[in-house]
Amino acid sequence: MLVLIALSILHIAAIILLLAATIDNAWWVTSTTSTDVWGRWVLTNNKWNMTDLPNNYPTDYLQAVQATTVLACIFSIIGLFVFIAQLFTLPKGRRFTISGVFQALACLFIMIAASIYTDRFHTNEKSIGNYGHSFILAWIAFGLTFISSIVYFVLRKK
Amino acid sequence: MLRVLALASVVLLGIAPQASQAITVYTSWERHALVGSDVRLSCSFFSWRFVSEDVSFTWRYRPDGSRDSVSIAHYAGGEPYTDNKGAFKDRVEFVGNPKRRDGSILIKNLDFSDNGTFTCDAKNPPDIVGRPSSVRLLVFETLPIQAGVITGAIIGVVLGLLVLIVVIYYLMRFLVARRVFSLSVSKHGKKKKEGSQQRQASFLLLLFFLFLLPLLQYPPPLLPPLPHMHPVCSDKRNRLARCHHHMTIWRDYNSIQRLLREFGMRKRVVKGNIHLLCMAAQLT
Repeated sequence: MLVLIALSILHIAAIILLLAATIDNAWWVTSTTSTDVWGRWVLTNNKWNMTDLPNNYPTDYLQAVQATTVLACIFSIIGLFVFIAQLFTLPKGRRFTISGVFQALACLFIMIAASIYTDRFHTNEKSIGNYGHSFILAWIAFGLTFISSIVYFVLRKK
Repeated sequence: MLRVLALASVVLLGIAPQASQAITVYTSWERHALVGSDVRLSCSFFSWRFVSEDVSFTWRYRPDGSRDSVSIAHYAGGEPYTDNKGAFKDRVEFVGNPKRRDGSILIKNLDFSDNGTFTCDAKNPPDIVGRPSSVRLLVFETLPIQAGVITGAIIGVVLGLLVLIVVIYYLMRFLVARRVFSLSVSKHGKKKKEGSQQRQASFLLLLFFLFLLPLLQYPPPLLPPLPHMHPVCSDKRNRLARCHHHMTIWRDYNSIQRLLREFGMRKRVVKGNIHLLCMAAQLT
């Protein structure tokens, strides 16, 4: 019982981190900007304004990051519903394989997103700014979903 | 109640003609274009009246940050007139078809100074009451990132694959279950169980014999194919009886008899035919 609650909390935490990483425009921050996969916040005259991303971003990689973060969120949320459904329908002694598969897919996609972003964006600007909280949350979410999927593959229903 | 209804209908009929007389003009909300390219600004209208001869379109331009607007294109009395003095000299062309309620213009060779709001005003006498509609033009050096195409493609493909896998999985389960079900029914219903291969081979041979026999004796009749017929015959005397016994569906046997009789074969011939069919089935 306790194990199940802990698993659910872990899964929900992973979902929350994924959503924060996807929605919040804070993968890269400098003193006056906070930018990421959807748009750029620019601080002008003590006011934050939302602007478009600069045109020198590699568009295909940017859209790949967008797509994979969204897909990771979707798979993780579906995985949560599948896990709850499997709690009631799975016969005793069987493993939660389908929930594990969904979590593993979410892990894969967020790993793809974070890797592409790390490798292709802001590679020459290390002195100007630093990675923001969305980026860090993306990598933490990768770890959480990985652990979660392993647990689902190993755990048996009592 | 009736009085209220009557009053409401009178009020509506009074208001409706006024409301329906207004002309509504449609343009895009915003247009993006590259420097140096051409852009087509579309404008159409909806009017309760037919397009009259005096239909008119007027295009005005208001630069960003300015409050005055200047007229750049006008269509009236069947003739288009375009700017021949201002910033849009020789760059504006009327490309719409007023008879089809289309009053679009084409602006060529865009520049950054063309950023602004273009207002289209259409009038269709006697339908002249209406509000003009505006379209905002944004001129870029390079087109901004269109957040959409690759993103949507990746998401769509992955989710589509997921749905496909789920559907195929449930389809396979359904088909396997149905096959198991049908096999179990056949086991209970029939006296002797035949393999499907054997069934098919015997069926083909039966068909062959059925067509061959009438050729020998009578003009060839047309017999429909006989499903589920695999009689098993063991010895000479009781062959027919046992054959009839082992025919899986009695209906087919009777129908064969009926059909053979229809084509003029006598009873003995019919029986003989079935006899041969049984032999043929045994050969497989």
